[in-house]
Order: sequence, then structure tokens, then C-alpha cells
Amino acid sequence: MQLLEQVQDGVRLSVSTPEEDVRAAATANDSLILEFEAFRDGRGFSLAAVLRGLGYRGRLIAAGKVLPDQARHLRRCGFDAVELSPGADPAPWRRMDQVFSAAYQPASGDDRLVWRQRHTNPDAALAARLNAQWGQAAAEDLLRAVLDPALERKAAVISSFGAEAAVLLHLISRVRPDLPVVFLETGQHFFQTLAYRRELTERLGLTDVRDIKPEAAALSKADPRGDLWRSAPDACCTIRKVQPLAQALAGFDTRITGRKRYQNSHRAALEPFEAADGVLTVNPLAAWSADQTETWLRDHQLPRHPLVEQGYPSIGCWPCTRAVETGENARDGRWAGQEKTECGIHERALAPAC
Amino acid sequence: MYRYDEFDAALVRERIAEFSDQVDRRSSGALTEDEFKPLRLMNGVYLQLHAYMLRVAVPYGVISSRQMRRLAHVARTYDKGYGHFTTRTNIQFNWPALQDLPAILSDLAEVEMHAIQTSGNCIRNVTTDVFAGVAADEIEDPRPWCEIVRQWSTIHPEFSFLPRKFKIAIVGAPKDRAAVRTHDVGLQIVRGEDGQTAFRVFVGGGQGRLPHIAQEIAPAVPGQSLLAYLTAILRAYNLLGRRDNIHKARIKILVAAIGIDAFRDEVERQFAILRQEDLRIPDEELARIQAYFTPPPFADLPATSPAYDAARRLNPEFARFTRSNLREHKQAGYGAVIVSLKPIGGVPGDITAAQMDVVADLAARFSFHEVRASYEQNLVLPHVRLEDVHAVWSRLREAGLATANADLATDIIACPGLDYCSLANARSIPVAQALSHQLADAALLEKLGPVRINISGCINACGHHHVGHIGVLGVDRKGEEYYQITVGGSPDEQAALGEIVGRSLPAEEVAPAIARALDRYLEIRNDGELFIDTVRRLGADPFRTAIYELTDAAA
Amino acid sequence: MKLLTANRLNDGRVIYLGEADAAVEAIDAARILDADAAEAALTLAQSRPAVFVNPYLIEVEDRAPSGRDRLKERIRSVGPTVGHSLDFAARNETP
Repeated sequence: MQLLEQVQDGVRLSVSTPEEDVRAAATANDSLILEFEAFRDGRGFSLAAVLRGLGYRGRLIAAGKVLPDQARHLRRCGFDAVELSPGADPAPWRRMDQVFSAAYQPASGDDRLVWRQRHTNPDAALAARLNAQWGQAAAEDLLRAVLDPALERKAAVISSFGAEAAVLLHLISRVRPDLPVVFLETGQHFFQTLAYRRELTERLGLTDVRDIKPEAAALSKADPRGDLWRSAPDACCTIRKVQPLAQALAGFDTRITGRKRYQNSHRAALEPFEAADGVLTVNPLAAWSADQTETWLRDHQLPRHPLVEQGYPSIGCWPCTRAVETGENARDGRWAGQEKTECGIHERALAPAC
Repeated sequence: MYRYDEFDAALVRERIAEFSDQVDRRSSGALTEDEFKPLRLMNGVYLQLHAYMLRVAVPYGVISSRQMRRLAHVARTYDKGYGHFTTRTNIQFNWPALQDLPAILSDLAEVEMHAIQTSGNCIRNVTTDVFAGVAADEIEDPRPWCEIVRQWSTIHPEFSFLPRKFKIAIVGAPKDRAAVRTHDVGLQIVRGEDGQTAFRVFVGGGQGRLPHIAQEIAPAVPGQSLLAYLTAILRAYNLLGRRDNIHKARIKILVAAIGIDAFRDEVERQFAILRQEDLRIPDEELARIQAYFTPPPFADLPATSPAYDAARRLNPEFARFTRSNLREHKQAGYGAVIVSLKPIGGVPGDITAAQMDVVADLAARFSFHEVRASYEQNLVLPHVRLEDVHAVWSRLREAGLATANADLATDIIACPGLDYCSLANARSIPVAQALSHQLADAALLEKLGPVRINISGCINACGHHHVGHIGVLGVDRKGEEYYQITVGGSPDEQAALGEIVGRSLPAEEVAPAIARALDRYLEIRNDGELFIDTVRRLGADPFRTAIYELTDAAA
Repeated sequence: MKLLTANRLNDGRVIYLGEADAAVEAIDAARILDADAAEAALTLAQSRPAVFVNPYLIEVEDRAPSGRDRLKERIRSVGPTVGHSLDFAARNETP
């Protein structure tokens, strides 16, 4: 809304003017100044709303006794500008006008109506509701909440069958052992990972673990010798992980991951439920600590990935994973010596909802 | 119950930032007290006799265990360890400092609470039936509609500077348990001709100096058009309501002045020119909000509980409590327990922080984490298994919350009066306490049956004395407290204003006079006739005689 | 005679104009004002809106409120006559 520091010329009516007289004046003028005699006198807001409702396209200026705290009321009722009283400080006017990021009431030419925003991105609203209701709940309850048949979500689990994967898969086995579990068989895994995938699947009774492989044609074209990771690790991840995953997950609107806040700084603000790009992402273990994970694995006597004992706390493909030294973070062994911290499957489609 | 999504949460946070800015500008002198006052009022902040008062909204009276615990925290941390529930189902804190208010509001925002529009000349907290979602006679649960109206009315750009305050109540049953006809707008859910949800709309009710019972303006406004219709009513009122005299500024005066038919014409004219498509509630939004109010996961129980029946047989005190404070639930095997905030000789509506914690714990264990605040200034645990009622009662009893008097004569509705309120002419609480002691005998109470006594400390009528079966109004006679008594008021679907029986009485004569009126009722009632029905049958005269009997003899 | 009273901006508490133009909480510490001093006191309080909210004068006899609003002013000076604020300390729920 425009802040006018000079007295404006034009037809000037008190907000106490009867509605029909204001409407008549509007018909005859392409600009109207409505003068508030007291800031408590809210008739001016309704007069502006009536004129705008009738389709008046002229300029509406508020004048007289109005407070900066009424800036957004004026704007949303249809005023274009306010005539400031002499010497008034425009700073609070600007500040108060922008206090609210959205509104429950429609206003002409305004797209910040809460209803509309809610339903343009229904997953965001669902994620927010689930976070509010279940954000503090135990991981298993949180899974049950999102897998409630009433929500009609089509969900799949993404698992690396890595060092901590057994926790999420164990929870899945308790809630819905038939849920599809997507394992990216990149062709570059440690043989221990492949053995562990078989062992854990059998032990937990998971009935729908899917090995997702890169498309052979794409692979032979982009990485015929299987050493793309040396020259272009991002491209390697794209072809062996990101693209196959996108194909495997087509048709699913909900993805369940084992990501946790403590794993790296990019994940520090991770919410249990996130929405982006038409997909709901569920991170039941978001708030878990390393100790909690360790305790769970031990208490439930879950089989460990064979490489953990050898100093690999985070395990990906063999070329890009190394053991970490004491004092390093768990994921420091991933793409060590590079800027890279994520393979990409958790970045685009799975970016946290704003 | 409803939970905030990111938008609701953001708005409440932004409102706190706005209010903090206003507090800072008031402190620096950039805002005068005259300018600041309406802004703080719209955030529930009054300046009362002894301190600021913060009125926290409990939208349509629904409150979770977590929220109740947070209210206890606020009472302990920023106040003197208690709060006061009002007839608009809000809670008031009497002693917060201005500088603490942003912190208090932040603490509340964390549990999805706020104080927005609990005062000021704007649309106030929407109220409803305390037994919404519980009562068997309900056509439809009114709470989703309350939430829709709550959101639509929150920080409304057009209706934040009305001529005067504006109160809306919604009920979903033919039985009116929310006094809708005493509201500026009262809404009653009905079935429209197409079988869809519609609203019977009443307008122009209100209490205060010039009380009015609302009149019907529309028999069945379709649910989809509710917000457009409300907008038309508010717009007509905002443009035409009086602003020259605060006592004549409510919509009731406008409706009475031009007549309901002329006002209806005005509303329909506004309805016809406003852009209704913008205000039509999208189906998916209605469905989204309704989803929050699906019944909790009730157990499949038989209609009776042997353990409950046995406890009633063995313990007469418990049996009495269940007769007065347990209400039927539409789900077999469950009941709704009324938590009395009316201990004998206590302050009506007051609750200590420790008691709030007790109620929160009981709700968490026995009532799906849910508490309701009632029009009568009590609390309700809405979904208690019959077999758990005894355990609930025992704990309430230890905490002083199990007075067996719901809807009985000592279940007195009273405003804070001159002990706290800067508008009051006389004290309300001491009169309520004297009456409570006078009528304390449990057997007598039960014999009297349902009697509603309301006490207001001034003509603003926050104690709703006009619609009490017996009403007491404090007046100032040359610096002395006197009390005027009315008989025959009623807030329900047969809403009526009480009749003033005669000259006002000094404080010490009020309780004995009312006790005599109730004795007279016992003498003249027909079998099974309720107090209010006896008044309706015989008029105020027999009670007038009883009230002035001794005082006349003495004079 | 008169006293000047108001509520304090930062905490809303009842205050009186005391000696040396200080705001005091106890009515016993309030400065007794004759008619001329009362007008001057009102002007002074109105010029200090960051302390005195809604200042006004009350009538007193022997420091006890005596005008038409004497009951209200007595309650303002001593606090609520009933209720939970009284036994707050006794309940040991210190804020």
C-alpha cells in the first residue's frame, strides 16, 4: 500500500457518509478519499469493501485518524493508499502492513488466502497436521498414523540396508511387513551389503523388498567401464541412484526414510513429516540420537551390517565409502574429501517443505 | 480436536510479534493509552482495578490436557497461581505484567492457544454446546463450524473496528445449551430442504443495560453460504450501528430500532452485492476441518457397567455426584463428567494451578486428553467410561473439584465484580459465597432440582443475571452496595429475560431472601415441576412476596 | 482532601503520587493534596504517561477514600476482598 506524505486533491468524504452517497460519488469519480474521524470508526473498511465488491476500480485513499496498526485492514479492504498525517513516521506503517504472511479472509487480488494455500498443496497441510499431532510420538505410532488406511496413502520405504537400516526395517516389519521396500542395487555395493540385505529381509519377514537396478542401456552409455565415480561422482549417483529411484517410486505418494537429524548438519532441522513435489516424506527416526539407535539395535538383537565392526558407521557404494577415524562424524566416510554430502535422492524430491 | 497447521501457527506467532511491537511503541510513547487500549483489548489485555488482566481464548470451550497444563504453568509463572473461567468459556489471569505478556502469549502459542479477540469491538470467541459431539440429540457436531467461524473472524480486516463487541454462538441440537438467543448472532444447525447442513440464524440478542432476546432473521442459511451471510450481517451492522453512545452501539439496538424486517432487508441487500464466491467454504476445507472432530476411538462397551452400578450402591456420596454431575453420552458405556468449579463458599469459575494439573491428568487418563469449558463456568471431562467414573470422582474429590451441584442452586454463575473489575458497581463474589453457604445442604439442593442463579456486579451483565432463573444485579446506591433481584429469566431455547421483583436489597439480605424464594417454590410446585416451570406457570408474584417477607416486616 | 491515583504502565498495579513526585504503591505513602496541589498533581501525572495510566483524583478523609467511589477505591488500595489472590502465599505456589 502506498504511503502518501502530502495532502491529496480529490473528492473527500467522511466515513460517516451514508453508503448510497459514497456509491454515488464512486460512480462519478475515479478516485475517492475516505476520511476517518476516529481510528475506532470502522465504517471506512466496510465502505471500501462494498465499493470493491461492486467492482469499483478507481483509486481509494484513506485519510484522517488511522493508525499504522490498521495498514493491513485498509489494504485488504481495498484501499490503495493512505494519506499520512503531517510528520507521521512511515516506518511503523510499512512494518505493520506486512506483519501477517497470510489471511483467513479473501481480498481482491490477494493470493495469500489460507484456504487456497492449504489446498494448493494438500500434502503440506497434511504434513503440518501430522507433525503437530504425531511429531512427538514414538516412531512406531508415527508410522501407524501415516499408514492409517483412512489417509489412503500409497507408501514405500527407501532403505540402503546400511549400518543403521535395521531399525527402520524392524519397525516396518512390526507395523506393515508387506510394505514395499525399495533397495537401490547400484551395482557398486559392498558384497557384505548384499548379504546383509538378504539376511535382514528374511529375519524380519519383509515380503516386498525390491532391488532397483540402473537401466542397462543408460549405464552402458554413460558408464561403460563402471568408473564414472572417479571423474564425476554426482553423475554416477544420478544414473545409479536418483534416476532408478524416481522410476521405482512412480505411483507412490509417500516415502518412508530412516534419515535422522544427527547424521549431518543438512538434516539438523529434519521434521518427521515433510511435503514437496507432490510427495509426502516420512522420517520416523528424525529425532533419534545415535545412542537411541544403538540401544534399539542391541535391545532387539537385530543383526548388524558386517562392515560396522570394521569402522564403517555409514555405508554406501564401495568406491565412495571409507571407514572413519575416531572423532569423525559418521557420514564423514561418505564421499570423503569432496564437497558432496548427499547422493541426491534426498535432495530434490525429498527436500524439507518450507 | 482441531490442531493448527503451519498457517494457523504462523498467524498466531505473527500476532505476538505485532503485539510486542505495540507494547514497545506504547512504552516508548509512540502510542498513547487511547490508541493502545483497543489494540491491547483485541489481544485480551484489560487494565483492571489492581493489574492487567489477560483473557485467553478457549475456542468453543475445547481444551486438551497439554493446553490445560500450560495454563497451569502460566498461572504459576506469571500470575498468582490461579485462573478464572468465564461464561464465554475463556480463562482470565488477573495479575500479569505488561512486559510479560509477549512471553505468556509465546508460551500459549506453543500449545496452539492465543488471546486474540477475547475483548475489543470485534468478533469474539465463538461459543458452543459444552456437550458437542457427546449429546444424543445433536443433528450435527457444531465444532467444525465453530472452527470455520473462528478462522474467518480471526484478524478480520473489515470487522476489527465495529461499533461494539460481537458475539456468536453455534449449537447443533434443538436443545440450546449455549444460550444462542442472548448473542449478537446465534446459529442453530438445522437440515435444509436438500437435507444438507443449514443454519437457523438469530440476530440482535444481548444482555447489558438494554437486554434483548435475539430474533430469527433466516430459517435455513445453507452451510456453504454461512460466511457470506455472516459477512452481510456484520457489514450492515458496521455501517449502520450507532457509534455515538456506547450503551446503544450493540447490534441489538440497531435491530430493535429499525425492526427485524428492515434489518433483514438490509442484510439481504448486502448479501446480494457481496462476492459470495470468495466466501464459499470449499468442500475440501470443510472436510479437512471436520476430520479433526471425528469421534475418539471409543471402546465397544455395554450400556451399563456393573462396577459403576456397585460403586453407586455402596457410596451414597458418589451416587449423589453421578446424579448431579454425570451426563449421558451418545456412546454406550460412556458418560460426561462435570467438574464443578463451584465449591461451597468458593469463587465461581476459579481454578488453581494444582487443580488444572489434576484435570489435565484425568483428561489424559480417562477422557482422550480432552476437557471442555462450559457456559456455566465449570469444566467437563466429555468422554469417561462409566467404569472409570468412580476413579475420576475420587481424584476430583481430593482436589476439591467434585461438588455435586451441576445445574443446581449453588452452581452460581458470577462475574468477578468489584473485587477485580474496573467497571463494576458492587462485589459479586461475596454474594455468591453467602448464597452458596446458605444453600449448601446437599439434600436440599437435590430437592430443589435445577435452579440457575446468576450474579452480575454491574449492568454490563457479565454474570448474565437477566437470563438467570434468579438473577442478582449489583447496583451502587450512594456509595453502598445494593442488589436487585430478578426472577424468571432463562438462556435456553425458551429464552426469556427475568422480571425485576422490587427494590434492591443490601448485601447481607440477598442470600436469605433467595433462600425464602426457593422455599416458597418447594411449597407451591406441582409434582416434578422445575423451578423455572413454576415461575412460568405462576409468574413472579409468589416469589416477590417471599423475597420481601421479612424485609417488609422489619421495615 | 485528595490523593492522586493511577495504574502503573509496566505492571498495571495501583499507584499513588507520593512525596517528591514519586509513584508509590501504599495509600499510606500517598501525598495529601489540597485543591491547588491536586490540579498540579494531575497535570504532572498526565505528563508522565510511561508511568501513570489514567491518572485521576480521589477524595479522602484521614487517608481513607471518602467520595462516591469510596468502596472501589478502598478495594483498589487493599486488593480483592476475597478469593485466590489472598491465600496465594499460603498455597506456596510462588511465581
